[in-house]
Amino acid sequence: MADQLLDQARELAEGQIDFEGQKLAELLATALLATVGAISFIVGFFLQDIKLALYIGLGGTALTFLLIVPPWPFFNRHPVKWLPVAGTETKSQGILVDGQVVG
Amino acid sequence: MHSSVVRIQNVFGFFTTVAFVVAALIAASDLIAPRTPSANVALKDVQVVRGRPHYYSSKKEEYAVIKFSLSADLSSLFTWNTKQIFVYVSASWPNSTSTELTNEAVIWDTIITNPSADHLQNIGPVAMKKLIRSAKGKSIDPSRGKIELKNQKAKYQITAPTGKVAETDNVVLRVHYNVQPWVGILTWTPQIEFGSWKKIKGGVSKAFKLPPLKVKKEEKKE
Repeated sequence: MADQLLDQARELAEGQIDFEGQKLAELLATALLATVGAISFIVGFFLQDIKLALYIGLGGTALTFLLIVPPWPFFNRHPVKWLPVAGTETKSQGILVDGQVVG
Repeated sequence: MHSSVVRIQNVFGFFTTVAFVVAALIAASDLIAPRTPSANVALKDVQVVRGRPHYYSSKKEEYAVIKFSLSADLSSLFTWNTKQIFVYVSASWPNSTSTELTNEAVIWDTIITNPSADHLQNIGPVAMKKLIRSAKGKSIDPSRGKIELKNQKAKYQITAPTGKVAETDNVVLRVHYNVQPWVGILTWTPQIEFGSWKKIKGGVSKAFKLPPLKVKKEEKKE
């Protein structure tokens, strides 16, 4: 029981996502940060307001962190389909020792 | 990007790259903003008196006490990337031993902040409130670049290493400025035209001669 809880907590902290999710996260992070940078410069330049540019840049980055870092469900929509474990077809579930089934 | 820690590292790493590029663009945006400052400076009054460099000094030196007028328009120096502008007036005269060098000493200066840097000014709370209110709702305030000084007393009384300045000839007052940006390099009064950055228009007074030493009445007792 305690082990299960610990495992769940560790999984949550590690925040693993599947391979498709990793590709998506990489793309999203790059695109969002670049867009935020461009917007902050353009808005700052045309409104001649450097503080606004700073806040747009930092705010946009914070939002990007929020979107990319937690293991959101849309990063886990393509779980890896493992092959069935070899040996499950054999009837014997026990452990073979010296040709004899034990346990 | 498989775990949260790796994603934090990746996002932060690319964020630093974006921040650097945006900062570089902001610094570069200064180059396309025209700088066309102009200034008119004139001597109003000058006298030369004897004094001590500090209270406990026994050395007596001659000091030039200058009053001047300054009418300057530095409003084009205020862009979104301007933090503050340092304006100073110097007196300069030819060196007696060299034709290439000149003697130059600052007689007056001031710091003009852009509204984005008002909180950095080293002034009292009342003056600070007034300053911030004067630019309420404005991100830049070019009108602060207009300086009108009439019969302004110099902040600093100047002398020379020899301690003698009376009857120095060919003294001129000159206006200089520094632009301190938020991002980028500090720029000084340009000596050459550089793209859309023009040299300061005017900014030099007519040459004048410092008067002979003013004899004070107390000195007769010595």
